[in-house]
Amino acid sequence: MKSEERNIVHLDLDSFFVSVERLHNRKLEGKPVIIGGLSDRGVVASCSYEARRFGVHSAMPMRMARQLCGDAVVIRGDMDLYSRYSDMVTDIIDEWAPVYEKASIDEHFLDLTGLERFFGTFRWSRELKRQIVRHTGLPISFGLSLNKTVSKIATGEAKPDGALYVPPSRVKPFLWPLSIRKIPMVGDKTYRLLRSMGVSRIQTLSQVPVEMLEHVLGKNGVALWKKAQGIDPTPVEPYSRAKSIGTERTFQRDTTDVQAMDALLVAMVEQLAHQLRQQRKLTSCVTVKLRYANYDTHTLQKRIAYTAFDHHLMATTRELFRKLYSRRMLVRLLGVRLSGLVHGSQQLNMFEDTRELINLYHSLDAIKQRYGARAIGRAAGYGNPLR
Amino acid sequence: MKFVISSTELLKHLQLIGKVISTKNTLPILDNFLFDLSGNQLQITASDLETTLVTTIDLENVTDEGKVAIPARILMDILKEFPEQPLTFNVDMETLKIDINSENGKYNLTGANAEDFPQLPEIKSEQESHFQLPSAALHQGIGKTIFATADDELRPVMNGIYVELKSDNVTFVATDAHKLVRYRRTDITPEQESAFIFPKKPASLLRNILSKEDAEVDVRFDDKNVQFVLPKYRMISRLTEGNYPSYDSVIPSDNPFKLTIDRLEFYNTIKRVSVFSNQASNLIKLSLKGNQLTVSAQDIDFSVSGRETLNCQYEGDDMEIGFKSSFLQEILANLNASEVLVELSDPSRAGLLYPAEKTEENEDVLMLLMPMMVESETEVE
Repeated sequence: MKSEERNIVHLDLDSFFVSVERLHNRKLEGKPVIIGGLSDRGVVASCSYEARRFGVHSAMPMRMARQLCGDAVVIRGDMDLYSRYSDMVTDIIDEWAPVYEKASIDEHFLDLTGLERFFGTFRWSRELKRQIVRHTGLPISFGLSLNKTVSKIATGEAKPDGALYVPPSRVKPFLWPLSIRKIPMVGDKTYRLLRSMGVSRIQTLSQVPVEMLEHVLGKNGVALWKKAQGIDPTPVEPYSRAKSIGTERTFQRDTTDVQAMDALLVAMVEQLAHQLRQQRKLTSCVTVKLRYANYDTHTLQKRIAYTAFDHHLMATTRELFRKLYSRRMLVRLLGVRLSGLVHGSQQLNMFEDTRELINLYHSLDAIKQRYGARAIGRAAGYGNPLR
Repeated sequence: MKFVISSTELLKHLQLIGKVISTKNTLPILDNFLFDLSGNQLQITASDLETTLVTTIDLENVTDEGKVAIPARILMDILKEFPEQPLTFNVDMETLKIDINSENGKYNLTGANAEDFPQLPEIKSEQESHFQLPSAALHQGIGKTIFATADDELRPVMNGIYVELKSDNVTFVATDAHKLVRYRRTDITPEQESAFIFPKKPASLLRNILSKEDAEVDVRFDDKNVQFVLPKYRMISRLTEGNYPSYDSVIPSDNPFKLTIDRLEFYNTIKRVSVFSNQASNLIKLSLKGNQLTVSAQDIDFSVSGRETLNCQYEGDDMEIGFKSSFLQEILANLNASEVLVELSDPSRAGLLYPAEKTEENEDVLMLLMPMMVESETEVE
């Protein structure tokens, strides 16, 4: 066995959000389904293959998707539910695979290098796929090849509900006729740039001198050129649970209403702090994100003593927002992220954390646990025009 | 001006006052010691603007008077290298050239103009408060409390030691909102009520000096500065302005459960068990049941855990309470007693620690530690 030859599997759940919705509502079967923000300013988070036939794709503005496919069932989406299903899939993979990386909510990379000495890796992967489908009822596709890029492209070709093995000798014949769009690195901008250079197939890209790509795309150009040759040395990074939690909101209409934004931050922090306490975690870093109407995005973060209490986090969030929102310009999006998470307990402060306050948090958490996260909260978080 | 001085004597004094000199001074003159010879007395000053330390040395062999600023770094460095011997300092007051003559050698350096050295702040006599105490008592007052001060840029008052004068006692308090120490001396009776917040850095410098001097200390302060006078040393330091949090209201007066335990045994157990605690939170749990104390810790992320059970005297309901082990260790290390008394009430309320027996009649030591939240297993759904 050649030491540098690896066996990498890319597993991707087919139109994941839609599949989860269909598990809960059989009527959605066979219909075009779009999941995303309901307002005109939302974007498509996921859509069924039926909707894709009308030209709908994810990240497309909702308004455009509706115009393309007026019959589609539009669902707001329930991220908590999707996360639960995603975790179910991860658990199964965790049981089976030696090394895996959770690349996003619906995709995993597995490194099966070495396993080929005992099993056929393709047969093994097909068995894993069967297990996932049996336990979760979710359709999933996979690609197997010698690195992450080729496996991922193979998955894309195998979808839906398929499997594709690209042996090392077949990598170039497999890649070359494909459009450069299929390379995960190539987004809209790069695609247009390369098209303007007359490159549309991966084969052409692989024949462009590497220096030229480096000249126009910098370091990324070199990596892209290598990918076109079927070379991608990035390792499968073992999965670890989320190191941060966050939330953000794009407003219905851009705003300069500081009071409403303050109130929104209160509601966001309340929700995140509750989540932290449920997971028995503490955070040590708060980040506030602000996007102006012109898409200028700014973030500011601050390290704090480990905490999971709303009032600590709210003070920090407010302070960061004050610093961040310096221009009297329309704001489009606001977000909060808590990172540097650790398992642990809260050190109490003798001047601030009174017994009453601690009991209050206990009770709030209990009510939210029982009646849902929006059942109770600070008045500031309710009736907010931005929500 | 010219004087002869013992190399080790000079070094001893400079080492005590030189610690105040900051490595990143805004004023270059503060990189110097100010030497002021007047009569038979040599007075040396070092300052970082916030705090100024002055020492006096009586000399026998002097010619003329005068003032000069001598670069601190180079002077300390050369003094460290001399074995004990008399050194002759010869300063040309015109050119500020300084010659140091040793037994076998001669060293030259250039001083700076003494006039550039900032003036010492004065204690305004009309606002002055004044008391005296033995150096040992002040040393204890600082030493017992300084570890509990905070490092909080947002609340500078908590980065210092609160010294509170009452008619019948002097109380030293420090807290970072998680732990609190109150050290009270009832043998000092200032006969007036007043208070000041003494910042951490000068407090630690003063502690160094106090450990080497046994004398009565004269303390004077107004709303801006405090001055400590010892026979050979003097410190003037700027005070932290602001209101100290009302510490009395957070000290519970009615903790009903009482635990008495051997201090060293308890300390060593915590040290061992805390190796197995979560490195970020440092949580250890104390479980009290009958006359047994179980100290336990775990780190779920690495699936390690440890526990030890100790015999103790306990009067109270069975309970479980969590503390940050590093805080508890600091507190136990700073209590001088063979046995400690721990008073508790509830897992979310402060615990109080005292020496079980008073070692000194006039001392009253109280340490308070806030717990960490522990979810007891029954609450988990």
